Order: sequence, then C-alpha cells, then structure tokens
Amino acid sequence: MTRVEKVLVLALGNELAGDDAVGLIAARELRKVVPAEVDIIESGEAGLALLDHFSAYDRVLLLDAVVAPDLEPGRVLHYQMSELRSVANPSPHYAGLPDVQRVAAELGIPFPKEVRTLAVAIQQPERVNHGLSEPVSNAVPNLVAEALSVLQGWTSTAVGDGSP
Amino acid sequence: MSAVVNEPATTAGSQQTRRHVVVDPITRLEGHGKIDIFLDESGNVERAFLQIPELRGFEVFVHGRPVEEMPQITSRICGVCPTAHHMAATKALDDLFKIEPTPTARNIRELVYNAFMLEDHALHVYVLGGPDFIVGPTADKAARNIVGVLNTVGLEVGKRVIEARRKLREVISYFGGKVIHPVMGLPGGVSKGLGDDFLPVLKQTAEESLEFARFTLQVFKDIVLGNEEYVRLITSEDYTHRTYYMGLVDEANRVNFYDGQLRVVSPTGQEVEKFPVQAYASHIAEHVEPWSYIKFCYLRNIGWNGFQEGAASGVYAVAPLARLNAADGMATELAQEAYGEFYATLGPKPVHYTLANHWARVIEMLQAAETIVRLANDPVTAGKDIRNIPSVTPSVGYGVVEAPRGTLIHHYETDENGLVREANLIVATQNNAARIAMSVEKAARGLIHDGEINDGLLNMVEMAFRAYDPCHGCATHSLPGQMPLVARVMTRSGEVIREIVS
Repeated sequence: MTRVEKVLVLALGNELAGDDAVGLIAARELRKVVPAEVDIIESGEAGLALLDHFSAYDRVLLLDAVVAPDLEPGRVLHYQMSELRSVANPSPHYAGLPDVQRVAAELGIPFPKEVRTLAVAIQQPERVNHGLSEPVSNAVPNLVAEALSVLQGWTSTAVGDGSP
Repeated sequence: MSAVVNEPATTAGSQQTRRHVVVDPITRLEGHGKIDIFLDESGNVERAFLQIPELRGFEVFVHGRPVEEMPQITSRICGVCPTAHHMAATKALDDLFKIEPTPTARNIRELVYNAFMLEDHALHVYVLGGPDFIVGPTADKAARNIVGVLNTVGLEVGKRVIEARRKLREVISYFGGKVIHPVMGLPGGVSKGLGDDFLPVLKQTAEESLEFARFTLQVFKDIVLGNEEYVRLITSEDYTHRTYYMGLVDEANRVNFYDGQLRVVSPTGQEVEKFPVQAYASHIAEHVEPWSYIKFCYLRNIGWNGFQEGAASGVYAVAPLARLNAADGMATELAQEAYGEFYATLGPKPVHYTLANHWARVIEMLQAAETIVRLANDPVTAGKDIRNIPSVTPSVGYGVVEAPRGTLIHHYETDENGLVREANLIVATQNNAARIAMSVEKAARGLIHDGEINDGLLNMVEMAFRAYDPCHGCATHSLPGQMPLVARVMTRSGEVIREIVS
C-alpha cells in the first residue's frame, strides 16, 4: 500500500492591501480544481506561525506576492527552499522560512521535505484597497496553472511508506 | 553577514546641506519600519524618527460600509495585532449600539484577549526583542535571532515556547475561528460559547500557560537581571526618557488589558488625567511635523513643546512599561509580586528606562496567564447566554483595549442605517511615535559624530525602538526569507550619498 503524501497549499497575503491578496485569490480558484485531499489554507501570517501549518505536511506550496519594484507586475517567480536565503541581518524581528526550518530541525518538529514558493511580483501597495490591479489580476490564471503543475508533479512522485 | 555598500559620488552641493540617514528593515509581519535620521551641515544628528509607512486611505475604504463589518475589516489591517483590532472594534460596536455584553460573553472576550496578550508577548520575549538580551546585545548579529535564543536557553525551553504558543492559539481559534482574522465579537456578545468538550482543554492550557509565564519570568531573571552588564545597559542614560505614561486601569487603578479608564501619570508619577475612551479627543491631540506624515500624539492639556522630556512636554508613552507606570499595581497576585520586585529594583516610580519594557512585558505575561486561569475556572465563562441583541439606532461609538504594544482606540460614526460615515483609529505605535523618535534620536546622537556613522548604529538604534515592540499598520511583505536592511545617508533634497544593504 502506498501512503498518500499530505500536501498543503498555503496562500499568504492581506486582502486589504490590493495586489498583496493575489495568492489568496489564486487559492480560491485552485480550490475549485484540485483534489479534496490537497489542503488549501489562506493566511496573513509569517515566521513561526507558519510552523503550526507546516508540521503536518510532507510538501507545501506557498502562494505569495512579492514587492519587486524592478520587475513587471504580474510576473510569476518560482523559488525552491534552497534559494531563499536565511535572514542574516541585524534584526531578530523576523523569522524567514529558512529560519523556521532551522528552528524545526533543532527542536525536532516535523518539517515538510519540500517547500516551494510561487510569488507574483507586485508594486508596493500604498492605500487600503480591495481587489487586484489589472496586470496582477491577469497573472492569476498563470499562477493557478503553475500551482497545478507543481501539485501534479508531486502527486506523481508520491512514495511508499514501506508497508506491504 | 555580508554587506553591500553603494556609495554614489558625493556632489559638491551635498556638503552644504542637511543629510538624511535611513534604516529600513523590511519585514512581513512587522510591516515596513524605517528609521530616518537627519544630519545637520556638520554631520551631526539634528532630528531622527521612526517612519511608519501605513496603508493610507482606510477612512475612504470603510466609508459607507455596514459598521458591523468593522471587527472583520480592522482585524485585517495588520497581521500582527488582529485580535487587538477585532476587540477594540467589537467594543466600539457595543458603545455604538449602547449595549453591554452578557457576563459570559465578557468573560469569553477577556479570556481570548488575555490568551492573545500572553501569546504575543511570548513571541516578543523569545523571538523579537528578547534576543537582544537573551543572546546578548553585543552578540554576533547572525546569532541574535530565534536560533540563537534556542542555543542560549536550551532546546527544552524552545519546545515549551513553541508548545505554549500553539495551545494559546488553539484557545483563540476555538472561540474566534482563524487566529489571524477572528470572527468572535458581536455588539453585545460573542458568536460562540464555551462547550463542555473544550472546558477540560481550556483548564489544562490555562494551568500550563501560568507555569510557562512563571518560568519565563525566571528565565528573564536568570539571564538578564543576573548579568550586571545588561542591567547597566537597561539603566543607562542613552535609553532613558522622563515622559508622561498612559494605560488602561480598572476601578482600583490596576493594569487591565481589556477594559477600564485611561489614566495618565506625570514624569514624577502623579495622576494627571483619568478619562473614559469617549473623551479621548479632549485629552489626546496630534502634532504634524513638516518632515513626516506621521501624526505625533501628545497630551492636549499639557501641549506640544517639541520632542522634549519633562512635565512641560505633552509627549507620553504607552506599552508595557507605561501601563505599569500608569497603574497603582497589577490585578493578579503573582504579577503584583513581580511588580513590587520591578520597582524595588529599578524604581522609584515611574521607571523611565525604555529597555525596562522587556521586564514589564514578562510581568504582564504573568497577569495574562493568571487571568486566563481565573476565567477558565469561573462557571460564568461556561454559561449559555452569550449575546444581548442591540435595538437602538447607532450614531457614534468608541472602543479601547490595551494592545500588546499599547493603547488602541477605535472611533466610528454612522448614519441611522449603521453605515460608516467616519472612522478614526489611534494605534499604539502612533501614541508612542514621539517618544520612539526621541529614543531613536538619542541612540543616533550617541553613535553619529561629524558625519562618521558608527558600525554599531543599526543595532543600537534598533534596540531603542525594538523595546516598544512597534507595530506598523501594514501587513504587506517581502518574500519569506528575505529581509534586507537598508541604511541610507541622504542629502536634504533626498539624494542618496551612501547606502548599506545587509
């Protein structure tokens, strides 16, 4: 018997910050088309709070927005866990993903074996605003398609748990 | 840590103009805090302040919306304090509809609120501000984070921290749904009562939380108070400001996070004002500086006399230290004991050491935990009557809570159909903005001389504002894992002449 891997799609964003909500919007579209066994959670959290979500899953796909003034808004960026650098800075204000992973490793808390991020480039939101700008809204189908592609890749690599 | 230093050519003109230094830590949860430091012609600090690039346009956004949506909308303003905004909004709705929550509903709100305070304070003590002390203010920058904390306090302690926070968040989720966007508060009550199934879980979490808070106080005493160097830093003049203090107090003038009157004490500790939140506009005014869009709150009856200390300046502080200073004591037994020890060590009242906020925060954790235990064991909390139904026509309502970072005020006005006409929020960091500016400035003055910027600037200046646990009205973020820290030196006209990216 093959154990089905537990997969989470975690969408991060703030719905009052315009384009920052792109991950949340994509998650709602994704929910209509992915199998029920893939959990989809929307959140505005970060840092250690993510650990609460991560621990129960084998693989996690993050959908997020990233403020990237130099990129065309709406561009979908891919990141593997290994591409995210640790927060090597003078402020302990923030625990980034690699730091969360280190904390989990040190404390023996289960952590997904794979975390991937799909992030949409946005401009810095300046006003409270509900809804996406046109270029970012146009990127939602791309983000959903990319997410489905990642999820399909994961389903086809589901591994056995060693039981007969 | 590797640093990229960009040093554009200095123009001849810039030698003659005031320069501008920016420290810009971009984070997800904390929003985008940015420290601006203006230098005069000779390269010494003229003025410094914390920029809080909030999302603007909130008043326009909520105009015309049903006021009942405010607890949900405002909880989304900020990824750090959703429960504080939710609760202040809920209380503003009580006031707007002139209805009190049932005793059970009040207990549940207070229970959830104290769970939030404890959880949030624990995050600050162990993750955000604590590393300055637990790992050490002079430790390697790369070690001054949660992993460094774990290495100092040990893995077992780390597991306790994670576990305690997780269980407290479960309590908040039980009553409010999502931790990040609670849906609990309704005018006159709450949406969900305490079920028999959850009562044993709640009681156990309450006991464990109290144990966790006591243990945290011990950790703080062992690591911080046991170290003479840290105590010297806490009590140093560089981190001291003799200002007014404001906080919510109960009828016996004890610290209360959920309800009460706002009390203000002078720099010498005398009560100078005590008022219900409905009167806030008669007591709190906002000052605008030409070089900042931040509105600096000050005491209206004292007046704005610049970024100055002392009784003649209306600058005041909120947050843990201010709450302890503004009250006559704590509302619970163990916290009161710790309060006595705090003032016996650092006193007399009021204590003016900004870095004492860290110790005050731990004492507040104790009060929050003891309050959770009391409410979990109060039969009223498990009652079934969780809502009074409002019946009056709304017009104006005010709500106040003590957010972890200080006093939070919501003020709404509606038409007769309950659609929002005006909304005004005064958030904790806005109350603290003037004093934070003074703290940043004092630290900067100590480190910048004749245009030479000391390497220790970033952390020493950050330590000055980190003690306040400032929270920015914006949950916009950079990609997880990336948090550039940018320090820029600029001319008066905004031209960057030096930039450091860590």
